[in-house]
Amino acid sequence: MPFLTHGSYRIRYELDGPANAPAYVLVNGLTQYAELWTVYRDALVARRFRVATFDLLGQGASDKPALFISQDDQVAALHLLIGELGDGPLFLSGISFGGLIALRYAITHGKRLAGLVPMSCFAELPPQLFLLGNALRTGLILGGNSYLQDLLLPMNVSDQWLRPVLDKLDSVKRQGWLVNDVYALQNLMESFLDFQPLTPQLSAIGVPTMIPNGEFDFLTPRALHETLRVQIPNSSLVIIPRAYHAFTLEKPALTADLLARFAEDVLAGRWQGNKAVWIAPEEAGGDLVPFPAGYDHLRAIPVQGTIP
Amino acid sequence: MSEFFGPLDSEGRVPPRQQTRVAAFLISAHGALARQFAFALPPKLESAWQTELNAQFYRETEIVSLLLRATSWVPDVALGYMAASWETAWFPAPAEGIPDQPLALTVGLATLAHAVHAGIRPAALLPVDANANDPFVMTLRRIEFESSRLLQTQILFLKGESLVPFRDAVSSALERRHAGVRKLWHEALQSVGISVRDRNDEKP
Repeated sequence: MPFLTHGSYRIRYELDGPANAPAYVLVNGLTQYAELWTVYRDALVARRFRVATFDLLGQGASDKPALFISQDDQVAALHLLIGELGDGPLFLSGISFGGLIALRYAITHGKRLAGLVPMSCFAELPPQLFLLGNALRTGLILGGNSYLQDLLLPMNVSDQWLRPVLDKLDSVKRQGWLVNDVYALQNLMESFLDFQPLTPQLSAIGVPTMIPNGEFDFLTPRALHETLRVQIPNSSLVIIPRAYHAFTLEKPALTADLLARFAEDVLAGRWQGNKAVWIAPEEAGGDLVPFPAGYDHLRAIPVQGTIP
Repeated sequence: MSEFFGPLDSEGRVPPRQQTRVAAFLISAHGALARQFAFALPPKLESAWQTELNAQFYRETEIVSLLLRATSWVPDVALGYMAASWETAWFPAPAEGIPDQPLALTVGLATLAHAVHAGIRPAALLPVDANANDPFVMTLRRIEFESSRLLQTQILFLKGESLVPFRDAVSSALERRHAGVRKLWHEALQSVGISVRDRNDEKP
């Protein structure tokens, strides 16, 4: 289990796949840990990518700073990891909190990237997300990690995913409960206390950017991804059908396929962002189809609208 | 070695030797906090924040009381030496780099409480088949649950405005306290066959 060093802290990471291949770096969401990318690692390595996964500071097997930890520290940790990957083409993806860290990296170190995939992501904290974040933090404080998991699970995955595991939720939650500590998660959440919107800086992201968003994601709904689509010049929004915030957990085969296809298209010179809006297929390997022309992709009913 | 208590008996109970060593450690740590909070607690409260001192004192006392009554104690000849080293480690220590001595002592107590409440997770040592109706099992779960609530006072204080000028001193005192408490906790666990997987241990 290799480690990087950031100041007095260690960051646990893992590299898989051929050393000289184009690389994918995958950044965890807030309550996650690196092993949750296992399906992605296997799928991307099978398609000749090198894959880097790691635990953010405060997560899993990385060090957990006792109190003071900033998002800049997380970007610095990510920068260290990317430094281990040589000079080849590099694709960066992250989910939710990890997507935000990926966005920050792309703003400051965009030249190092060949492509960016911020998933279930946001550049601002509008009132709904701000209040939801506060409520989740209070839930963590009052009820512990297990209660936070109880709040997030029904919010972030579908009935189809939950139904077969309803009678064994404790075992579903156990690994995340074991490896993540209340104080460390609270520190990650409180790194938002001085959060400033990234929106004015998004136009600095010059690399091809695919922005996947679950159709039913209400933690970070479409409008938050729309900000990314509108502000990032070479981007496109990809709506994942029947998916919620944590579609990386629920639809790993489809999402890994989308990640691989995006990178393959960029490397082959086929990618054109055009700030387009796409609908992903239901299953891996299917075709992406354009969002119907003339309709407003920000609405849940078929309203005709003007799309910038 | 396992990362969890065990082997459990046929009724899902933790071996008494492990109960004894772990409960002794927790009583030592939470008992020290109870004593230090009691010492800091004035007979008559003058400020609203002192109500929290009262709460911390009684929660720590409750934890000690629970452990005394819920543990299946067995004779443990190593406890005398180990308890001495634990008690020495909990001595009040002013945080370095803060010239105001009463404040430095308060920060020292807060760092110890933060390290105990945040860094020690006794319920995470319970295997999945531990008996949920066993008092020792329930006590460990309760300690972990209460600790994350008690911790909020230390977080608010250590991140508070009054300590902003001393943030580096607070941060290094806190990391040192965490490392010290973690080392003793992990040694206590390893002494009863419980392995610990924590990279924070391996810092230079």
